[in-house]
Amino acid sequence: MTPVLEVSRLCVDLPLPAGMLHAVRDISFQVGQGETLSLVGESGCGKSLTALAVMNLLPQGARRTAATLRFSGLDLTRASEAEMSRIRGNQMAMIFQEPMTSLNPCYTIGDQLEEALREHRPVSRQQARERAIYLLEKVGITAAGSRLRQYPHQLSGGLRQRAMIAMGLMCGPSLIIADEPTTALDVTIQAQILSLLASLQREFEMALILITHDLGVVARVANRVAVMYCGQVVETGTVREVFEKPIHPYTQGLMDCIPVPGKTPPGQPLGSIPGLVPTPIGQLFGCSFRNRCPRASRACAASDPDLVELGPGRAYRCLLSPEACLGPARAEGR
Amino acid sequence: MNRPVIEVQDATKTYQVSAGLFKGQLPLQAVNGVSLDVAKGSVLGLVGESGCGKSTLARLILGLEDLSGGQIVLDGQPLARLGRQAISRRVQPVFQDPYSSLNPRKSIGSIISLPLRALKIGRPADWPDQIDEIMAVVGLAPRLKHNYPNQLSGGQRQRVAIARALIMRPELVICDEPTSALDVSVQAQILNLLMKLRAELGLTYILISHNLSVVEHMATRVAVMYLGRIVEEAGAVELYRRPRHPYTQALLASALTPEPGLGLPETHLGVAYPNPIDPPPGCTFHPRCPKADRTCSTVPPPPTLEGGRLVECHHPEPL
Repeated sequence: MTPVLEVSRLCVDLPLPAGMLHAVRDISFQVGQGETLSLVGESGCGKSLTALAVMNLLPQGARRTAATLRFSGLDLTRASEAEMSRIRGNQMAMIFQEPMTSLNPCYTIGDQLEEALREHRPVSRQQARERAIYLLEKVGITAAGSRLRQYPHQLSGGLRQRAMIAMGLMCGPSLIIADEPTTALDVTIQAQILSLLASLQREFEMALILITHDLGVVARVANRVAVMYCGQVVETGTVREVFEKPIHPYTQGLMDCIPVPGKTPPGQPLGSIPGLVPTPIGQLFGCSFRNRCPRASRACAASDPDLVELGPGRAYRCLLSPEACLGPARAEGR
Repeated sequence: MNRPVIEVQDATKTYQVSAGLFKGQLPLQAVNGVSLDVAKGSVLGLVGESGCGKSTLARLILGLEDLSGGQIVLDGQPLARLGRQAISRRVQPVFQDPYSSLNPRKSIGSIISLPLRALKIGRPADWPDQIDEIMAVVGLAPRLKHNYPNQLSGGQRQRVAIARALIMRPELVICDEPTSALDVSVQAQILNLLMKLRAELGLTYILISHNLSVVEHMATRVAVMYLGRIVEEAGAVELYRRPRHPYTQALLASALTPEPGLGLPETHLGVAYPNPIDPPPGCTFHPRCPKADRTCSTVPPPPTLEGGRLVECHHPEPL
């Protein structure tokens, strides 16, 4: 089966006063129909820019290069701006973190949903309205007909996010990119919205790219995961593989940072990753995680580790062998 | 049990909110008859959805808001009689967003020492030493004293906020979402720091968080708030092991722990958190409750205390 989206060797560079920021470095991934891929990492790791690069919505001045950027058989590296705007919101939809800032406060929910469809399809207002009501009901909004006349501020956070999802679905996209879709919501609403996304994805057989910093969300929703650090993918695999046996020292560190009920003894110190995320500006060399890595040696500064394939879809980026990564770290400090 | 640092007795806070243009004002009961004791050295976790009144309760304890009813007793004295300065010597806050809670135009040293200067504590000649000492305690390099907040990372800023709170040597620190704005790896550093400081300085915390895993990890007791009331309160271990209130059960079930294969929970909570201006009659949770019957929709459940656990429900899970 051909993947819905295929990305290889994607790079994004942003010119800053301090030098060139290599925000996304050599990222490759693919998502198939009905599959959920999660890009996970801390702020500044390049996960959102990766998504924006796919949609060609990068900030001005940013430079995008890629060996392959193929969406439903279409080469996006050669697509013109007009072609891109035909795809965006049509076959490729995006759901953002804060629905209050991505919905227009001056228009009703109905106007915005209908526009999303009429922009791309030659349908009448009446048809667009019917589709909007159908989808609002699908996303669990009761009294959909009267909600169409409401403005975004009249809805609660959870309802706004549901309306955003409905808007993304108006044209029946084959790919949805959700960037931190539940971060602004309460835990109870988060669980509902994620179940909704998952069931819609199954029903309409869409590919889903879920961008998040929350490992709990990844574990419960995604099929495959790519852990990002400093613009690179440092580990990738199925959710089960990565969560049950993380290989890269960064992934291992991240997993130790979150308290897990029944595993982490309450009140005891959590594992933590010392130091700070470096900013990938200027000429880069060596492994970007070496300053914070408990297993780093002199070799890590000398050469840039490649992504090592362990099996289909399973890879990690470290100079050490998987056994050495999983073995005991050197007791002495660096 | 130790002497409580703070006793909240039937605290109530009512705001007047506009009901709409030309419609006058309506009362909003943000905190509605809350009673709590926080023992010295304990960590009380306060959880609930947004709008349940947990931050208002924190502001009441800090003396930033006046009570509409009931009283709060700090070290045996009612808060209302203590005055702002006396309160701030004993209770200090650490807020969520270290990007907005630090003055961008003041140096770190000046931010940390502001409480000392404002309250004229000790001799000015001793202040620099005190700043150095507290910065060492929270793990900030002394050279950062002359830097400004925008030169610091999120984790460092939160350490500054903690240092500013601790320089007063308070007994009680109210941490309102102390790590929500931070990255996972930094969150662990700050949580570890808070635990270390509690042991070393004998601090008492009230920890407000929507992250239930963090509360489970840190808290000794947990209070669950819903629409301005505490609907369940118990020791942390007991509460997480066997939640009695249906709301607590739903809340705990909806927490997504990083365990693949478990899938997404079905909470049966329905969509809407009720409008606090127009709370449902009877038990305020009944419209979302799977166990609700006719009594629940008419009679508010009385608080019942059983085996050191408080629960407000007509049909609680048996102990």
